[in-house]
Amino acid sequence: MGEAPLSWPDGNDRVPYWIYTDQGNYERELEKIFYGPVWNYVGLECEIPNPGDFKRTQIGDQSIIVVRDAEGGVNALVNRCAHRGVKICEQDKGSFSEIMCPYHQWTYDLKGNLQGVPFHRGVKGNGGMPADFSMADNGLDVLKVHVRNGGIFATMSDKTPPFETYMGNRILGYYDRELDGRSLSLLGHSRQRIGANWKLMLENIKDTHHASLLHVFFVTFGLFRVDNDSRVEMDDTGLHTALSSIRGKQELNDGTAQMRSFDSNLALNDPSLLDVVREFDGDQTVVMQTLWPNVILQQQSNTLATRQIVPKGPNSFELHWTFFGYEDDDEEMTARRLRQANLMGPAGLVSMDDGQILERTQEGILAHPNEQGVVELGGRGTDDADHMVTEVALRAFYKGYRNVMGL
Amino acid sequence: MTITPELRSEIADLANAYALAIDDGELDRWPRFFASDCLYKIIAKENFDSGLPLGLLMCDSQGMLQDRMEAFSKLNVFGPRSWRHMLGAVYTTGSEKEISARTNFVIFETLAGKDTHILCAGEYRDIIIREHGALKFRERLCVYDTTMIPNSIVRPI
Ligand code: FES
Ligand SMILES: [Fe+2]
Repeated sequence: MGEAPLSWPDGNDRVPYWIYTDQGNYERELEKIFYGPVWNYVGLECEIPNPGDFKRTQIGDQSIIVVRDAEGGVNALVNRCAHRGVKICEQDKGSFSEIMCPYHQWTYDLKGNLQGVPFHRGVKGNGGMPADFSMADNGLDVLKVHVRNGGIFATMSDKTPPFETYMGNRILGYYDRELDGRSLSLLGHSRQRIGANWKLMLENIKDTHHASLLHVFFVTFGLFRVDNDSRVEMDDTGLHTALSSIRGKQELNDGTAQMRSFDSNLALNDPSLLDVVREFDGDQTVVMQTLWPNVILQQQSNTLATRQIVPKGPNSFELHWTFFGYEDDDEEMTARRLRQANLMGPAGLVSMDDGQILERTQEGILAHPNEQGVVELGGRGTDDADHMVTEVALRAFYKGYRNVMGL
Repeated sequence: MTITPELRSEIADLANAYALAIDDGELDRWPRFFASDCLYKIIAKENFDSGLPLGLLMCDSQGMLQDRMEAFSKLNVFGPRSWRHMLGAVYTTGSEKEISARTNFVIFETLAGKDTHILCAGEYRDIIIREHGALKFRERLCVYDTTMIPNSIVRPI
């Protein structure tokens, strides 16, 4: 017999499996995390460049409209009519001048204010709304929005700290490195559903050493390898992580000797895939950020992307990829980004492995809620590391998670 | 030069042979369906319709097709499965020199021990030319409607 369910083992070096499978825990996560004092990533400004442009997205289980208003501001509105609850917007993206619910044609402006109610004053003296019906009190639910250098974040709580405090200086430094204030240009989206708990996706990025073992492609071409110069850095909560690394010389050493999948004889027929151009200050060739609770901001060589994690119950999540470049990219750079995008996404030379392995993780643990995983690589502490032979970011993450969840 | 019935059936053969090579797992044959100067791209309908260039998978040379084929066959990690391409009738326009073709597809995927599901549905938008006597894809866009890919696409489609 295992221990009683829903308890956490001592220390940060074990993770109980019920946190990935328990429905009650999932519902508490929605309340305490996604609907709580966090900044949820909801998109990029380049997805909605003009007044009236909108995209539909999700925070937790809730459908959200992100829309640019006439003054150029960005608003995040709950996609639920204030009258009888109809999901107003069905399109994934588009443009509108006002928001109208088709059922009884209540109309809202792009900030979510109720503008019109048909038969408000009645018809031929009959009916209509009561004289004290308040238009002001019956708008769409509006979320607080923060935009930083093209990234859009929204929160449902008034207790959420200011964005800068929430991210912390160190993570902000990495954030600003990629989203540096230049206008972004949208390259496109990829979307996939993975039958695994949403936290496993964040873990996958925080788990720095798997890339040298699972991803033969990475290992072989040195893009990301355990023997590369690397850093794993956390914010004070442990929930955000920035992993940075420098592409190595692909030498043979005691690291490669332990990678069973390593084959030094592989070569590309068309090396243009790895025609990487240095475009940021500093030596790092990879910076992967996991920003709590729902986005990965990535720079792998010249592929820039966000991966938004949308939880779908404890056993499934969607991953919405948005690939982008900068408006000042020349044609060659755009072509390069598009070619390197082959590494990522649902058919990515690298990412394909992750989607597969996360589902296998979920399948492995599903029947064993009282068992636990081992995260002891690199010790049992939660301090930053200057290498990637470590699971420190997972330990720090679960320290933070336990705080948030009161576990 | 119009497209004769003989040519039309040769085009249909190409479309079918392509799908069978993949369903039969003979990926090493895959690059040979393409012209020496080629573009293969799997692209989401949402990107295609908005004029966004991102492909889910994109190869713009024979070398890249070869590299992809080798990655699918040897480097990537995924469980055993079968695929069935269901093709609609090929609709052709253009001339014998440069044939445009559109063909609907649905791919059923069956993972070991699990139910058969639809991996994706969409259409091929092809440009076909004759090279060294045989019809080849100079361009094959696989425009898929599927909003959420069930996990991953682990072979060319
Ligand atoms: S439910 Fe939207 S107007 Fe009635
Ligand atoms: Fe990975």
